[in-house]
Amino acid sequence: MTAYTTLKVEREGPVGWLIFDRPKAGNAMDAAMLAELEVAWAELDANPAVAVIVNTGEGRAFQTGLDVVQLAKDPTALREQSRRTKRATLRLTAWHNGVTKPVIAAVNGVCAGGGLHFVADADVVIASSAASFLDPHVSVGQVSAYETIGLARKIAFESVMRMALIGRGERVSPQRAYELGLLSEVVDPPEMLRDRAQELAELIAQNDPGQLRAAKKALWNTLEMGLTDAYRASAQGEQS
Amino acid sequence: MSDGFGTYETLKLERHGAVGWLINNRPQQLNAMNAKMRDEFAGAWQELDADPEVRVIVHTGEGRAFQTGVDVSELANDGQGMERYRESVANFDLHFTSWHQRVAKPVITAVNGLCAGGAFHWVADADIVIASSDAQFFDPHVSVGQVVAIEAIGLLRKMPFEAVMRMALTGRHERMSAERALQLGMISQIVDPPERLREEAQSLAEKIAKNSPAAMRASKRALWGALESGLSQACRDGADELVSMWGHPDQEEGPRAFAEKREPKWLPLDSAQAAGSGPGPR
Repeated sequence: MTAYTTLKVEREGPVGWLIFDRPKAGNAMDAAMLAELEVAWAELDANPAVAVIVNTGEGRAFQTGLDVVQLAKDPTALREQSRRTKRATLRLTAWHNGVTKPVIAAVNGVCAGGGLHFVADADVVIASSAASFLDPHVSVGQVSAYETIGLARKIAFESVMRMALIGRGERVSPQRAYELGLLSEVVDPPEMLRDRAQELAELIAQNDPGQLRAAKKALWNTLEMGLTDAYRASAQGEQS
Repeated sequence: MSDGFGTYETLKLERHGAVGWLINNRPQQLNAMNAKMRDEFAGAWQELDADPEVRVIVHTGEGRAFQTGVDVSELANDGQGMERYRESVANFDLHFTSWHQRVAKPVITAVNGLCAGGAFHWVADADIVIASSDAQFFDPHVSVGQVVAIEAIGLLRKMPFEAVMRMALTGRHERMSAERALQLGMISQIVDPPERLREEAQSLAEKIAKNSPAAMRASKRALWGALESGLSQACRDGADELVSMWGHPDQEEGPRAFAEKREPKWLPLDSAQAAGSGPGPR
């Protein structure tokens, strides 16, 4: 596999792992990670030995968004990221990068702000009992948009709006995230998270890859349209 | 009024610090909405949105009900009935919720006690909803020969479908508890004992009032916009809201205050201009 400096990209059996690896910076995305994410998603999606992808973080945090301090020192990268933000052409997550394989987010710790991209855009989300979720954007004068728009299409709206407006003032616990359907499993003790994610990924990997790909495509597509259109589109997908 | 608000017959407007309060005030009628109240809502939302002292708005009710829909006794006795509202409903030209009035500031609905029928307008159209532990939710429309539409449609976009449909079809024969509403994500907080509802709402509103008013307005617009279109389109529309803050002084002030470990000094919304610039019907 390609050499990475801000990510760990590994394979264990049929499971590809994409691990944020800047633990001292809360796994925040610097210019290097922004570039490497695109490469890593493409590599894992193309690898025939990988059936399912797990995304997690090294250290105490899962992911805490853009590393604005580092990006401020790299005007070229900052300009490119601003351009992508403005044009809604981000390339951070599996969904942004058009990944066709099932993606499990395994949230190992705090997931803040831009970190919510990886929760909103995953197919399946599990978390350790040490996880927490917050969106501090409005507390630092920033708009909360993409991440929470993604979440708003997937879980009860009020809970997303509360997170967006309260900013730093409150964190969502893994138990509440589970109740809300933001995630489907809380792993306790936290050290068992990766084992459980591997087990769950292997379970999914037993299914037919073509069917998984088609199901994933059809279900995400329903977030783009009304009910009848979504049924029609999936029927056409099954015929092709 | 002591806070300098206009005169209202069916509502109370108050300000406590940065928090504006809109209180349904027909407790004898369980805060049911007559024609007068319907008109007063329109002005009250605008007044609170335009008040430069107000950063967050809380909406609650006086007495044992939050709200119980339209005032049926007025409908039965005034010789006009629902005809009075035919045109505004047919054209979806309503003005009694914060969303109808495009309120730019965060709005918290604090449900005290009964929340029935038309009351769901203010549950569906608020940004945040909390409730006292004795709150009860039900939608009696079909039990009195009325159609459930607008309020339930708003809720359907925001929470699991089955729960809304069940409420719409069981009518007055079943009530949803605050506990169940919390599980479903219709509300995010239960206050117990019920007497502490206003205190908790004030404290929640004060937390929110610490955030950048301009960033919150843009976030509200981006998120409510997500209910209007498909995911990709909502992200593209959201990009406009994101970019709208670039170059705004709050974007410099936020990180600086964080680094200096102090409370940020946000640029207030120019309330006179900002009022009515929030998300609303398209």
